[in-house]
Formats: sequence, structure tokens, C-alpha cells
Amino acid sequence: MLKRIFLMVCLGFGLISCSENDDETYIDPNPDLSERLYAGGATTIFSATSISFRTPAPNLSAADLEAHLLGDTQFENVYVTAPAEINPGLGPIFNNSSCISCHPNDGRTGYPLNLLGRSGLLIRASIAGTGANGGPNPVPGYGLQIQNQAIFGYNPEAQYQNAFTDVTETLADGTIVHLRRPAFTLINPYTGLPGGMMLSARMATPVFGLGLLEAISELDILANQDIDDANGDGISGRANYVWDPQTNQTVLGRFGWKANTGSLIVQCAAAFVEDMGITNMIFQNETGHDQSNGQDGLTDDPEVGQALLDNIVLYCRTLGVPAPRNLKQANVRQGAAIFEQIECAKCHMPKQKTGTGSAISALNNQIIFPYSDMLLHDMGEGLADNRPDFLASGSEWKTRPLWGIGLTQLINGHTDFLHDGRARNIQEAILWHGGEAQNAKNKYKQLTTKQRSDLLEFINSL
Amino acid sequence: MKNRIATLSALGLAIFFANCSDNNNDPITYDPNTVLYTAVLTDLSRDVITDTYETLNTNAIALKAAADAFTIGNDAQLAALKTAWQATRAPWEQSEGFLYGPVDTGGIDPAMDTWPVDVNAMNNILGSGDPITPATLEANNETRGFHLIEYLAWGINGNKTAADFTAREVELLRAAAEDLQNNTQLLYDGWKTDSGNYGSNFINAGQSGSVYVSQKVALEEIVNGIIGIADEVATGKIQAPLDEGATVEESRFSNNSKIDFANNMRSIQNVYEGNFGGSDRAGLTNIVKLTNPTLDAEIKAAIGDAINAIEAIPGTFTQALTDNEAAVINAQEKVAALQLKLQNQLLPFISNN
Repeated sequence: MLKRIFLMVCLGFGLISCSENDDETYIDPNPDLSERLYAGGATTIFSATSISFRTPAPNLSAADLEAHLLGDTQFENVYVTAPAEINPGLGPIFNNSSCISCHPNDGRTGYPLNLLGRSGLLIRASIAGTGANGGPNPVPGYGLQIQNQAIFGYNPEAQYQNAFTDVTETLADGTIVHLRRPAFTLINPYTGLPGGMMLSARMATPVFGLGLLEAISELDILANQDIDDANGDGISGRANYVWDPQTNQTVLGRFGWKANTGSLIVQCAAAFVEDMGITNMIFQNETGHDQSNGQDGLTDDPEVGQALLDNIVLYCRTLGVPAPRNLKQANVRQGAAIFEQIECAKCHMPKQKTGTGSAISALNNQIIFPYSDMLLHDMGEGLADNRPDFLASGSEWKTRPLWGIGLTQLINGHTDFLHDGRARNIQEAILWHGGEAQNAKNKYKQLTTKQRSDLLEFINSL
Repeated sequence: MKNRIATLSALGLAIFFANCSDNNNDPITYDPNTVLYTAVLTDLSRDVITDTYETLNTNAIALKAAADAFTIGNDAQLAALKTAWQATRAPWEQSEGFLYGPVDTGGIDPAMDTWPVDVNAMNNILGSGDPITPATLEANNETRGFHLIEYLAWGINGNKTAADFTAREVELLRAAAEDLQNNTQLLYDGWKTDSGNYGSNFINAGQSGSVYVSQKVALEEIVNGIIGIADEVATGKIQAPLDEGATVEESRFSNNSKIDFANNMRSIQNVYEGNFGGSDRAGLTNIVKLTNPTLDAEIKAAIGDAINAIEAIPGTFTQALTDNEAAVINAQEKVAALQLKLQNQLLPFISNN
């Protein structure tokens, strides 16, 4: 009864702000976050357990749910050496053998315990210049990705090696934070490596919420660009435009660490062929088909049919988004205010909305809170991979969505972040921000201990 | 009444305005279920789950011993090997109602239970001249674990004899058994209180350091776990072979499928009742029967029905798919009904309790 009276009173007084300042740069120090509870709009699921990234959206049509559940099973298919009765076609060169092995629990992979073995980290490669369609220029004999595994009788393209060097950051309150800067190299290459080759590590990212991100209208994403920093705030987000091999057109890039992929179907199809060696309707040749280690000599292509590919895509589109936790807690709310004050929100903008054009009705017309503007930003020298990708320069990265990030420890058993897994927690990830984000990072370092704690509580509530 | 409302409003206002200042804590909520939940979370994690993994590890050690002792042509040793495999399989299947924690995030599940077996890769390993060690298995994720050992011990048609083995197969068998036990050790270590102590996340749910934001969420994890295995048995393990035939049957080489499925149901039973190996601890039943004894009885009955229906399938599961489809369908329906009851009644009950 007390609780109900209290709520009624709060509703009645809800519009009264606690502060007296009403000018337009005012940021409420204790904002009401309740609007953000439905992080995925009507696709939000209220669960903070190990299944929270791999639960179907609750608002799917019966037909979409049925296809989703089929895709769920297929996402867990373990591919094996052909010929075989079940799931043949692995390799001959590959990185891993199932979608789920790199996207465990539909979440994000941790930095590998053993870089020589199977993991969710792969390395992209290219040489100077651009490729046929304006994208990265493939390495002769290797292509655009280094497959570090092979079926028996074949050589993997190379093995991965990394050496971390220590970098320290000192915060205003005296705390010293140790960061680790990686330096990836290739060892045991199966054939000669060219000089000047560019390498860039990629860690597998969560697959929930992708249908919503795909359904944000292009115009809405472009509206947030500020390519020449007209407003002088140091931030100049811009879109990547990329070649789409399915439609043979140039399209807005949305997916991947540098937004180099325009649609989920191309993302999934490319992952099948590059990461697992599974040919499909969009990529009908084995990666490395023109290499000595890349042709399996079988006439079993495509190794998965269109129906399976479509189910996998639909599956990724229709996973529910977990609701944030503890939104009413004072320190979480105060952390949200700091997130705005130090300008994290300029790129990690909390709110987006989807359009009306998705074939999946559950995804249309949703207000969502992914915390990303879906644009490229120059993140500075420290994070640069120096490997351009279509319009993305060697130091630009797409703003990563933050939804679900606080569940990473529970669901994936680690808190490794950034494109190469160098950050071992959220604070380290923040401290790698540079370039357009340098100001925000500097402000982070200047926060008091409590303010920092509040900000991290807020991010972990997502 | 008016005065009471006025007083409560004033109290409410006071709390509201108090929240406007900084550094405020949330109003303390006292859940009268805390003591009961702590007991259930403690008993399930420290006893049922950890004890299951301990038994799994102990039996995996015995399986490794049986593999090491096996010599080609010795029928008694092959029989002992098969028995040891089944004795290790049982607690594993009884653990599939709780596929969260180290078995999940540590990649131990796929390392132990990958399916299908990559027969080409296996034949390539056997045909190569290289020594076969646990490292070989680690580098060949699709040729490892329970089903590889099962394939080696029973053969593709289930009728392999002790004389049919080659020396290389014995080498692979021993490496696979050692690799399996390496993983059961990791798993047990992940939960032992003097080691990984993963159960502390459940016992201290809602406190700083736990991955669960509240006791209720920790209980939801546990309920989701038993829903998950019920779903997997109903759809993947039983319905898929009904639809696609015995090639997709999981343990067909050993004809162990019925026992596997029944043990999956026992996993649900162990978690629901708080039992493992005869220990009588607190389980989900302790929460449910307190305020809804009807639902409690229904869940227990549904679990029993599922086990009975699976065990009532005549002959082997493979044969029944063609010779006794009705019995298989009945089992699928009972498991599906259990899954629905857990999903539609138990989970909301726990979430709203």
C-alpha cells in the first residue's frame, strides 16, 4: 500500500525537476531512465540470465517464431569435413566450425586463451590500394582474411601470434590503469607473405538486436553525420558506403567493426564462407579456391542452401534485446547523467527508431536504445589498425552498440572488449578512446572516484 | 482512512524529495523469501550441481582407467569400457538441466559433447603417423568427447567386437578418454568451493560480486536451465529423429538414447526436488509448494510422466522410430508438456513470487 501511494505521488510530481536551471545545455543530474527500459522496443525481453542474448523477441508472428526456432538450431550446427551425412563442408581452410563457437550464447567471444587454436578472433588482411569494388585490396595467396585452421591434409594459411606491450594511464585521483597494446603477426605462413601487408584482428560480437539496427532508416543515420564538424564539438561522424555483393550496388554500411557490410544476409553469408569455409548462394566459391590449400575438390557447392542461410539471417534479426537493469537506482541514474556530461552520448547516442520497411513486422516502428549512432569515428592513433575498409580510414571505427554490455560477464564469462579484445574491462575500453573521443576520455580521467563508479554502474546496467 | 492516506502521502513525498538529493540509496526492500531462497540457491549449487559434477569427474577417471586397461581382443575389457562410458554419460546427461557457468562460458560442453563426429577427420588422424595425445583432440574439436569414444567403442553399427580394434584406435581411445577427464576435472574445479566456487554467484545472488542482480534472477537462471533441457529433448533429441530419421539420433551407436533422455528428465527432477544421489536438500519445490501445492504436484507429476513415457518406449530408440512411432510420439508429447508447464507456469510463478 505504501508502495502504491509512493508511486502515485511520484507520478503526480514526476515532472518537477530537482534543479532550478532550465537553460538548453542543462543535463538533469538524476534523469528518469524509465523510457529506456524497453531497450528493444516491443522486442525487449526481461531476463538477466545466461539466455538473455539468445531468446526470441516476444512479439514475433507465429510464422517468424517458427522460422526463428529453426534458425536457432542451425546456428548451433557443427560443420564437419565433407563428405558426411550431417553438416558436411567445413573448410578446407577455416577459423571455426560453427556460428555458436565464435558467438557463444549469441554473445561476444573472449580474447583467446590459445591464439594457435580455435577461437572467436580472426585476422583480416589486405595490401595497399583498393580492391575491385572499392574495398580492401586482397593479399595474393591469402585474400582478405587469414584462416588459421584447416582440415586434415591441408595447410592453414598461417597461424596467429601476438605480443602485448604495457601502456599506462593515470587518472585524476591517482589510480594507475595498465592497458595492453597488441601487435599481431603471422607465423608459419603456407606461402610467401608480401611486404607492407595490413593486418587487423576482429573479435566476434553479439548477434541480438541486429534486425532492429538493420531496420533503422538510412536517412535517420545520415542525419547524425557531421562530416566537417560544423558544430565544432570535435566529433565528425560519417557513414561508410560499401559494395554489396548480393545486390551488386553500393549501400550504407551498418555491420562489422568498420561498418563494412550493408546487410545481415551478406554478413552471414560472408561469415559462412570466410570463417567456416561453407559455400552458399552468395559466395559460391571456397575462400581460397584459387589457392593451393583452398580447393576441396568436391562438387558439393553451395554447401548450405538458401533456406538455411535465410533462417540464420532471420534468427539473427529476431533475437530479443535484454532490458537494462537497475534503472531506478540513484547511482545508475547519476551515471547516465555523467554519460551525457562527458559526451559519451554524442556517439553512443542512446536512442534510435526503426522504420516501417522490414518484412518482419515485429521490427517496424520501434523506439530502441542501442547506444550507437551507427557512424564511423576517428578514434585516434592508439586504436588505429591502419587498414582502410571502403570509406573507413585506418583510424576510423563504427560506434559499437552498448546494449547488453553489462551482461557480458554473466553470459560469456569475461569482459573483453574492442576490436582485438585488448580491453579487459569497460574502463580499459574507455581509456583507449582517442581522436574524436579524446575530449570525452580526458573528462573521464578527471572524474572523481564516485563519478567514475556511477558512470561504470550505468554502463553495466545496460 | 483519509488520515492514513494523508500520512502515507506525506511519507511518500518525503521519500520522493529525499531522492532528489545526491548519494541516496534506494528504499530498502525486504523480501520475506530471502531465507528460503538462500537455502534453495545454496543447496542446489553447492550440493546438487557440484555433487553431479563430482560424480561425473569420478566416473570419467574410471572411464580413462578402463580405456588404459583395454587390450585388443579382450571382450570383457570392452564390456567394462562400455559400462564405464555409460556410467560417465549418466551424470553428464543429469547435468544438462544446468548448462550455465563454467560448462557454458568455459567451452566445456562443446569440448565434451560435440556432435556429429567428424568421421573423416577421425580417419585422417588414425591414418596419419603422428602420436595421438589429448592435444590432438584439443586441436580437432569435431572429433572428441563422448561421441568419439562411443563411436570407437561401439562402431557405426553398434556391433564392434574387441578384436575389431586397431592399435591406432586404441591410442585414440585412450587420448580421448584422457581429454574427456581433463574437461570433467576443469568443470568440477569450476564449482568446488576451494577452487572456482561458481556457486557463490548463486549463494550470494544480489550482492556485490555475484553475476546475478538478485536472488530472483538467480532462480530464473535455474528455471531457464530446466526449461532449456526439456525443450532440447522434446525438439532436438526426439522430434528431429522422428522427422529426419535415425541419422540425427544423438547416441545411436551405443543405443543409449533412451537412457540419455530419461537422465535429462532426471536432471530436471534433481533441480526441482533438490536431490542428487539420495541427498534430500532444498529445491524449487520448497518454494512452489509453500503457496501453490497444486502446481507443485502437477510439476512433479509431469516430470514423472516424461520419465515413464521415455522408459516405456520398447526396444531401442532407433528401432522404435520405425516400429513403434506411437510410443516415441507419446514420449515427445510428455516432454513437451513438461516444457510448457515449466515455461508457462513455473517461470512466471518464480518471477512473480
